[in-house]
Amino acid sequence: MSKELIRLQNLTMEFDGEKVLDGINLYFNDKEFLTLLGPSGCGKTTTLRIIGGFQNPTSGDVLFDGKRINDVPPYERQINTVFQRYALFPHLDVYDNIAFGLKVAKLPKDEIQQRVHEILEVVGLKGYGHRSVDSLSGGQQQRVAIARALVNRPKVLLLDEPLAALDLRLRKDMQNELKRIQQAMGITFIYVTHDQEEALSMSDTVVVMDKGRIQQVGRPEDIYNEPKNAFVADFIGESNILDGVMLSDYKVKFFGRTFKCLDAGFAPNEPVDVVIRPEDIDFVPPEEGHLVGTVTSVTFKGLNYDIIVDFKGFKWLIQTTDFQGVGSTVGIRLNPEDIHIMHKSAYSGLFGDYSSYSAEYDELTEDAADEEE
Amino acid sequence: MKKTSRVLTILMFVFLYIPMLVLIVASFNTGKDLTHIEGFTFSQYKELFKDEDLLTLLGNSLLISLLSTAIATAFGTFAAVGIHNMRPKMRKLVMNLTNIPMTNPDIVTGISLSLLFVFVGTSMLHQRESLNFWTLLVAHITFSLPYVILNVMPKLRQMDPALQDAAMDLGCTPLQSFFKVTIHEIMPGIISGAIMAFTMSLDDFVISYFVTGSGFSTLPVEIYSYTKKPMSPKIYAMFTLLFLLIFALMITMNILQIRGEKRKDQKRKTVDSHGKKVFRRVCAAVCSVAVLGTAGLLIFGTRSGKVTLNVMNWGQNIADGTDETLDIIEEFERRHPNIRVNYTTYDSNESLYAKLSGGGLSVDVIIPSDYMIARLIQEDMLQKLDFSNIPNYEYVQQTFKNTDYDPLNEYSVPYTWGTVGIIYNEKFVDPEDVTGWELLWNEKYKGKILMFDNSRDAFGIAQYMLGYDVNTEDPQELADCAKLLKEQNPLVRQYVMDQIYAAMEGENAWIAPYYAGDCMMMMDANPNLAFYLPKNQGFNLFIDAMCVPTCAKNKTEAELFINFLCDPEISGANMDYICYGSPIEGARDYMEEYLAESDVIYPSDEVLKNGTSYSYLPAEVSRSMDEQFMAVRLVGGSTEGGSSTVILIGIIVLLVAFAALPFLPKRKKKK
Repeated sequence: MSKELIRLQNLTMEFDGEKVLDGINLYFNDKEFLTLLGPSGCGKTTTLRIIGGFQNPTSGDVLFDGKRINDVPPYERQINTVFQRYALFPHLDVYDNIAFGLKVAKLPKDEIQQRVHEILEVVGLKGYGHRSVDSLSGGQQQRVAIARALVNRPKVLLLDEPLAALDLRLRKDMQNELKRIQQAMGITFIYVTHDQEEALSMSDTVVVMDKGRIQQVGRPEDIYNEPKNAFVADFIGESNILDGVMLSDYKVKFFGRTFKCLDAGFAPNEPVDVVIRPEDIDFVPPEEGHLVGTVTSVTFKGLNYDIIVDFKGFKWLIQTTDFQGVGSTVGIRLNPEDIHIMHKSAYSGLFGDYSSYSAEYDELTEDAADEEE
Repeated sequence: MKKTSRVLTILMFVFLYIPMLVLIVASFNTGKDLTHIEGFTFSQYKELFKDEDLLTLLGNSLLISLLSTAIATAFGTFAAVGIHNMRPKMRKLVMNLTNIPMTNPDIVTGISLSLLFVFVGTSMLHQRESLNFWTLLVAHITFSLPYVILNVMPKLRQMDPALQDAAMDLGCTPLQSFFKVTIHEIMPGIISGAIMAFTMSLDDFVISYFVTGSGFSTLPVEIYSYTKKPMSPKIYAMFTLLFLLIFALMITMNILQIRGEKRKDQKRKTVDSHGKKVFRRVCAAVCSVAVLGTAGLLIFGTRSGKVTLNVMNWGQNIADGTDETLDIIEEFERRHPNIRVNYTTYDSNESLYAKLSGGGLSVDVIIPSDYMIARLIQEDMLQKLDFSNIPNYEYVQQTFKNTDYDPLNEYSVPYTWGTVGIIYNEKFVDPEDVTGWELLWNEKYKGKILMFDNSRDAFGIAQYMLGYDVNTEDPQELADCAKLLKEQNPLVRQYVMDQIYAAMEGENAWIAPYYAGDCMMMMDANPNLAFYLPKNQGFNLFIDAMCVPTCAKNKTEAELFINFLCDPEISGANMDYICYGSPIEGARDYMEEYLAESDVIYPSDEVLKNGTSYSYLPAEVSRSMDEQFMAVRLVGGSTEGGSSTVILIGIIVLLVAFAALPFLPKRKKKK
């Protein structure tokens, strides 16, 4: 890995006695695409604002290249930001918006011109220089915001939910675009989002946050496959989370049955959370199944069906292309690699039961997350 | 219903704009006022641009307004940003605190500012003249500030706070981010705040009145003291121009706003934005040059080595070059090039007294009336004159020496004199009835009689009728006078001062007591009018005399000025304008014949013998007189009261109708 650029040490932030950040320790490597992921109010935006210098932590240090920069104002940091709603200057045209930082830095005129035209090309807005920013679409404004930050050649670019205001199609395009730009420019991106799919598809490193604490740090695959607790398991994709007991290494017992698994290193008979991803489950005829249940609801999702199956009063979500009618009895088999074991945590028992599942589930959580300031 | 609301809307506009319309009509009218609409003319405007005094005042007003607006806008904008950045609780508190001065009555603000300035100036900075240009400017800034803040705050609240973060993120210090970003976002608020501050400042009278010293005055303050003569129509012309200026300003602002919104929807072009930039720079440059230039002229102009002589006189009480008269002050300055006369005015003896006793100003020459001079001497507010500097004193007629108010001729030199008599309309009044003051009590002319609207002159007439001393302090005698005046009340059409011109010239009233000089002017306007002096009963002979108050800085120059005004030729030329009698021997030779020969202005010595002048009455006597006169005025309802009640009811009905407008049920669409 490349060298460390930013380090946060014991960062704590309180607003009117309420803890928003609670002991954050984190480092960021050079040229890395790191995403702070979490639901609204988890402290991810506050962390970003502290790095940007817009807020001062109640306690703890921010180090940049090994130097403490707590007291360095934003305008003296080698960091630029893309704001959530772009924050373009309405009284300036596209060119002047992008040239803003360079003009403040009093660069020679021809250099400004050259750099602005270069960056316009990078973000795909060649020839838009003299358009008013109000005449641009959301996606174009987004590109201007990115160009305005990047043209200053910062060491780090902070992006605060930059795609939240775009529609789905455009969001997908921009995700690829951002990744491309990051690789082309070769600088550190610190990205804030509540969209787990966005986080997984773009990042080198994902930091999952909740309630002002870091829940897990890791590569996207690790976060997905090896969630550390019920919160991460539930927030990153869908998960069925069951109470189980680790009998010994590679043996876990739940639903009254013992299953083989790939996990080891737990105390004998330790109560654990068992995670089974909905897409890892395959239907088999009832008589061949490890478990047998009844289908209570089926939703067509395009790529697959979301099927809710009742196993002894506990409802599982199963994602499959294999249609089953409501009321039919189905069996499932669980292979060792389908089972992931986690230590019990404060989040145990809060997630992973689909008894109240409905089709609007996803949209509801997304709306709530959008309200984050 | 739709019709009703349309009618109401139209009525509302009529209601709002009729006063302005009347003013505009009056400014183009050849007649003296709206009772004489005769024809169309631009002459009022020509007169206006010839009147340097008026233009200077207008310049003063514009200068104060522009400067105070510029400063208040800058301060107010920064203050608004500061308030905006406070915690919400604190912000609310501070906003309420800034709003209070706006709801505060002007008179309270004015008096407290004046007290403050005099205190700071006199006891802390030891200035003789603590009320000056700068105090006026500070006062105007003070009261315009809240309007700027009030206009800027909402724009700050509407602004996306991320814009400031973005500016700082791109390398701006907080100050740079304000000038490069915030100011553009809140510009509409700043402009409307500035325009509001400008208009408030331009038309402020009350606060300015209290903080103006002798040195510098604004248009509204001076206009207020123009009471010795009827309002000259050229003032209508000036008001029309002022109104049009502000109207144009408002329209421009609206157009700019609309165009700004339109532009947002359009694509911009380089040329356009470049052109706009150049235009903006030119505008800013022109504005700052204008403001700085006038300020500089004002500051350095007064320090050009000349002595500034501060003269305070009644409004319209010196010939100023209009109507082919001699410009007395200009002539004086021509003869004494090292003296610059700073001429300001007051509207009554009492307000002059208030200004002098309030302290904080320095005046070199004042021209109060007889009884006020007695009071000022008694209170040690006048200096003894050095008559070796006033050789022309020898021209003062014997009649005006050794007067009651200045028996030893130490403090004053007479300026004008006049009498109080009866003006009546020969067309309606039987000459047999014109026998004395009792004409004002004649039942035959009920409803056609006007009476003085000030206690001293009204009581004076009663005293002459009853044969009492006009300076009596005997409560019984005063009560008798009040009783007599009460009896007169049912016959009186109206208690008036200046309104007498319109009423008498328009023949709405036939009989009135008034000052001879003014009567002369009314007779000039309406040949049916005649003047009568009840010489047998006695009448008031008043003298206005020049004095040097103790607060004067340039006593020698003041005496020079007094001497100049005693020159028979100058005094005569001056009287052509003022229409009063000159106490200077030989001045009559230089006056226009019709004035010099007039027995209204110059009654024979035999008649003059019977004139008596007012002397100073103790405060409690004049207060009791005021109270009794108030009671006299309030008896019964005069016709004047009747018509104003009708107007009042009309206004209330209209207001109620407007208030009800939104509640009218909407008419459904036909078809």
